Amino acid sequence: MLNQRTDLTQLSTAVEQIRQTLGKIIVGQKDVIDLLIAGLLADGHLLLEGVPGVAKTLSAKLMAKCISASFSRIQFTPDLMPSDVLGTAVFSPKTAEFQFRHGPIFGNIILVDEINRAPAKTQSALFEAMEERQITVDGSTYKLEEPFMVLATQNPVDQEGTYRLPEAQLDRFLFKIEVKYPSLEDEIQILVNQHQQKSDDQLLEIEAVLSVEQVKALRSTIKALFVEPKLLAYAAQITHETRNNKSLYLGASPRASLAMVNGAKAIAAMAGRDFVTPDDIIKVAAPVLAHRVMLSPEKEMEGLTPADIIAQIIKKIEIPR
Amino acid sequence: MRLLLILIVFLGITTVRAEIVQKPVVVKKAVVLKIDSSKVELRKIDSQAVTNYSKQKDFIYDDVAPETLSWWDKFWNWFWRLVNRIFSNKISGSIIKFLLIGLAIAAVVFFAIKIIGLDFKLLSGKSKSLEVPFEESLENIHEIDFDEQISKALQAQNYRLAVRLLYLKTLKSLSDKQQINWLPEKTNQAYVLEISDDVKRSEFSKLTDQFEYIWYGEFFLDKNTFESVNTAFHNFNQKTV
Repeated sequence: MLNQRTDLTQLSTAVEQIRQTLGKIIVGQKDVIDLLIAGLLADGHLLLEGVPGVAKTLSAKLMAKCISASFSRIQFTPDLMPSDVLGTAVFSPKTAEFQFRHGPIFGNIILVDEINRAPAKTQSALFEAMEERQITVDGSTYKLEEPFMVLATQNPVDQEGTYRLPEAQLDRFLFKIEVKYPSLEDEIQILVNQHQQKSDDQLLEIEAVLSVEQVKALRSTIKALFVEPKLLAYAAQITHETRNNKSLYLGASPRASLAMVNGAKAIAAMAGRDFVTPDDIIKVAAPVLAHRVMLSPEKEMEGLTPADIIAQIIKKIEIPR
Repeated sequence: MRLLLILIVFLGITTVRAEIVQKPVVVKKAVVLKIDSSKVELRKIDSQAVTNYSKQKDFIYDDVAPETLSWWDKFWNWFWRLVNRIFSNKISGSIIKFLLIGLAIAAVVFFAIKIIGLDFKLLSGKSKSLEVPFEESLENIHEIDFDEQISKALQAQNYRLAVRLLYLKTLKSLSDKQQINWLPEKTNQAYVLEISDDVKRSEFSKLTDQFEYIWYGEFFLDKNTFESVNTAFHNFNQKTV
């Protein structure tokens, strides 16, 4: 009776292929996989947080493997310098001139492993790259190739040897995806899979399912999805409440509202709809907002998390209907 | 040598003695007082000058307030006179005094708590709840005359609005039958999950999808399509009743 206005067949196929590819190695973690795909479709950078050993890096590497694009990996360490990320000018004896040598940031998919083990000085090297998709070194600006996506992993900040990421950098991540411990059933399945594994490197068996051009096309489809104006107001209201909430020391920025709408569009498309519903916004609210807000010291002492406060905020705002 | 030394010492002593003996005697003269016989002129203070000086501001040294007071100064004069009057009374003065001290302490504590941002509920152990400004629903589904509103929407050929009203009417019907717990902040999918009967849940899920496509997706709806949607809602509501 009601026909779809936007053809989402290609997108649905791609999403299913990525799900299957990631599902070959990642056991369980359905929400993590869906948010990874949503982040890719919504043209955002993703931060995966979890304790060591829950397959954060593996998930990011697998995600990168699904796309036939250039891939770089940067292991963030306490002594890493900005030039190690961006690149540096090297003197060439042949030409007697300085030539810029590109750093690992020049790529389509950048895996920044253990991002919070480098100090703020090194983190700031990513600011311009993540927001403006370009870097400036020695007065020269270098555009980064599209698609450009940073997939970063980190341990929780209370772990040994970690720094809290600057707020400006956290704000540049579309989602913070929390990778939790697997269930008992899933953990048993992980052991079974590992026991039956033939190849030493599981990633060798993975083949890309999307080209760079396909990713660009899917992202254009997502941008064109319909959002009812009342739902835009609903997303803005959620963000606005984070700024007036007594439980939060720092509220979310307007960039968070934009991220929430973009993320909700991706979730809607993955569900086969060309329009956004309040459920889509609610689904992405915590991954979008949790890393952008800061709890007040009292609430932190009580053991509450930003996700708890965001859930409580959502419960108090009327659904536009 | 020894003889020479004795001689020197002897001569020295003799010289000193001679000096003492030869000191002259001082004779004091009598003091003579002179009598002042000059004429004393008695000077009087010019009372006119004193009056003139006393009127000049520079020569007013006491705390007497100037006669030309501003309204602000008059207020404070009145206030402190009033305070003095109250506190001069022994019984009421002491009660009010302690009351004011108590209020002052309470105010200081209040502002200190506000400044450090301490949640009052932390003290009462109820801090888990949140204070989020809750906007009252603009539309209470229990107060809407749905039939009238739907007919108005149809007259205006606003079929999209008519579907919205049909959906709200269905929610009201489900709420009246206690199959869902109506709350403005719940999503449609939350209501779908609340319905315990599998068949009814499945039917309501389809209606919810239709409503969401038409309302959130802003799908164009003509009269024929509306009739079809209307029938589906009507059938569901009949079963609910």
